[in-house]
Amino acid sequence: MATLSLDALSKTYPNGVTALHGVDLTIDDGELIVVVGPSGCGKSTLLRMLAGLESISSGELAIDGRRVNDLEPAERDIAMVFQNYALYPHMSVADNMGYALKNQGVPRAERRRKVEETARLIGLEDLLDRRPKQLSGGQRQRVAMGRAIVREPKVFLFDEPLSNLDAKLRVQMRIEIRRLQKRLGVTAVYVTHDQVEAMTLADRLVVMNGGHIEQVGTPMHLYDQPASRFVASFIGSPSMNFIEARHADGVLTLPCGTHLPLRDGASTESGDAVCLGVRPEHLVQVGQGDDTTLTTQVELVEPLGADTLAHVRLDGQAELLVARLNGAQQIAEGDRLYLRPDPERLHLFDPQEGHSLAAPETVS
Amino acid sequence: MATFQRHRLTPWLLLSPQLAIVAIFFFWPAAQAVFQAFYVEDPFGLGRTFVAFENFTRLFGSAEYYRALGITITFSISVALGAMALALLLAVLADRVIKGANGYKTLLIWPYAVAPAVAGVLWVFMLDPELGLISAWLGAVGIDWNHQLNGGQAMALVIMASIWKQMSYNFVFFLAGLQAIPRSLLEAAAMDNAGPWRRFWTITFPLLSPTSFFLLVMNSVYAFFETFGTIDATTAGGPGGATRTLVYKVYEDGFIGYDLGSSAAQSVLLMLLVGLLTLLQFRYLESKVQY
Repeated sequence: MATLSLDALSKTYPNGVTALHGVDLTIDDGELIVVVGPSGCGKSTLLRMLAGLESISSGELAIDGRRVNDLEPAERDIAMVFQNYALYPHMSVADNMGYALKNQGVPRAERRRKVEETARLIGLEDLLDRRPKQLSGGQRQRVAMGRAIVREPKVFLFDEPLSNLDAKLRVQMRIEIRRLQKRLGVTAVYVTHDQVEAMTLADRLVVMNGGHIEQVGTPMHLYDQPASRFVASFIGSPSMNFIEARHADGVLTLPCGTHLPLRDGASTESGDAVCLGVRPEHLVQVGQGDDTTLTTQVELVEPLGADTLAHVRLDGQAELLVARLNGAQQIAEGDRLYLRPDPERLHLFDPQEGHSLAAPETVS
Repeated sequence: MATFQRHRLTPWLLLSPQLAIVAIFFFWPAAQAVFQAFYVEDPFGLGRTFVAFENFTRLFGSAEYYRALGITITFSISVALGAMALALLLAVLADRVIKGANGYKTLLIWPYAVAPAVAGVLWVFMLDPELGLISAWLGAVGIDWNHQLNGGQAMALVIMASIWKQMSYNFVFFLAGLQAIPRSLLEAAAMDNAGPWRRFWTITFPLLSPTSFFLLVMNSVYAFFETFGTIDATTAGGPGGATRTLVYKVYEDGFIGYDLGSSAAQSVLLMLLVGLLTLLQFRYLESKVQY
């Protein structure tokens, strides 16, 4: 149980490459923070700095108000679950889980009790004598979790722990991690590049890009009010559609001639070029086209069962738009489709900088 | 399968150069040795007499032979363990170096490319009682070094020279073994409250055990057989037989004493001994190094 505070945390490697440009973040006690971003965004570096496996170039890291910048990993009382599990191959499951306790000088009997207790908690009691190579991927994952839990650390770190599992197991383990973390009430930082994992696990999400934090907030907050085009395209699946548009007297005009009413409070001047963002689920199919709808041609259909994704071409638009339609809908390639963007769910971004042009009070 | 059936001869043709080399340089001489071990032959090779096991029984009754066996055991254990321990130490250190790593590695591998006799001569020069640099230093600190008179010092010299020669080979394997250990395992151990020393003995060392086992077998064979050149160039088995190992005795009795029958019997015994040793190593150690 701990709070973490990151103050202008930076990482510059000896070769001059800066992986992290001053990250500020406060993590509350018992909170599960998911750090998400594309590869090379600095999320793993950040996690390794929290763990103490990478040195901190500048800024301050504090656990429970105590500066830990210069402490060794062992002294920080943090446990980490590695992407490849990093189980010790020459030790049994029980020895893997008890290794940290043994190093701390915990007596054998107590060690055994704690390991067995943890094994019961995560359903490993029958596997304690096995070696890691005798376990399946999911079981190894569980052992890696158990090894972290048995230590009762202040903070859990997860470095893409589910990326080596198959899809079904991943969903199952995701739920289990969430349940365990809530039950144990431990502060946790979880790094992933999978936005579905990020959305479903997080109390708060941290979206990173190019060594910066783009936005911090609850998953739904980030979904509803992305602070930038990057966050908007990263959160939500399929990705948000973007269309270049022009603002004129409170009305947005699209290249195809469609007119959309502008919501109050957008920080854009009449005559400005803007980038309009609409999520696939906020494009509503209508029977008849008018000047508030997009007239499109279906190029590709992806039936998902409950929903059907229609990849459609809008006149004058280089990239295809994606619309999420009811799965019962019968559509085929080449069909004409009239789509009305939900006027309440439109996002506006600066076409160059990419920041959100929504009214400041709605962004906070 | 049908295509393979028709080419029954081709695999043998492809194998034949290798098989010919093994047959001519290993099987034939080995068979000759076994054959000769049952004969007594005159020094000029003009006549031989079948003596059954007499060559062997004479050896088993000879104090000289047991002495050589004792020397070989001391020598081999010292060389194998010394060469492995030093190589492991150097490999661990080289594994940590970031700047100029390739330079260090090349330098450490170099001794392996030096011929055993050259390596031996090198050590003899450094430790020569009159001219040697190191023996002069030793003299300055009060150690009277003369491996030409002192059997213990002669033993130390051949052990050092042999270790120096074999260390590079071990170094290459240990370094490769170290580099094959995933970083994340050591990171996980660091987070699990294990300091560097503990990490080495509880994670790195056990994970190197397959490499160590392989090297133990190779180093034993090396110490038993391949140190002949080094010994011959440094002490020639002396002084007074203090460094006369089994393999050196085979050479001395056969090619200096011209007792070919006894020499052959000794080489047969040596072959059996090393075979047995390797078998024991596989039997009792190999099962422990798998994980």
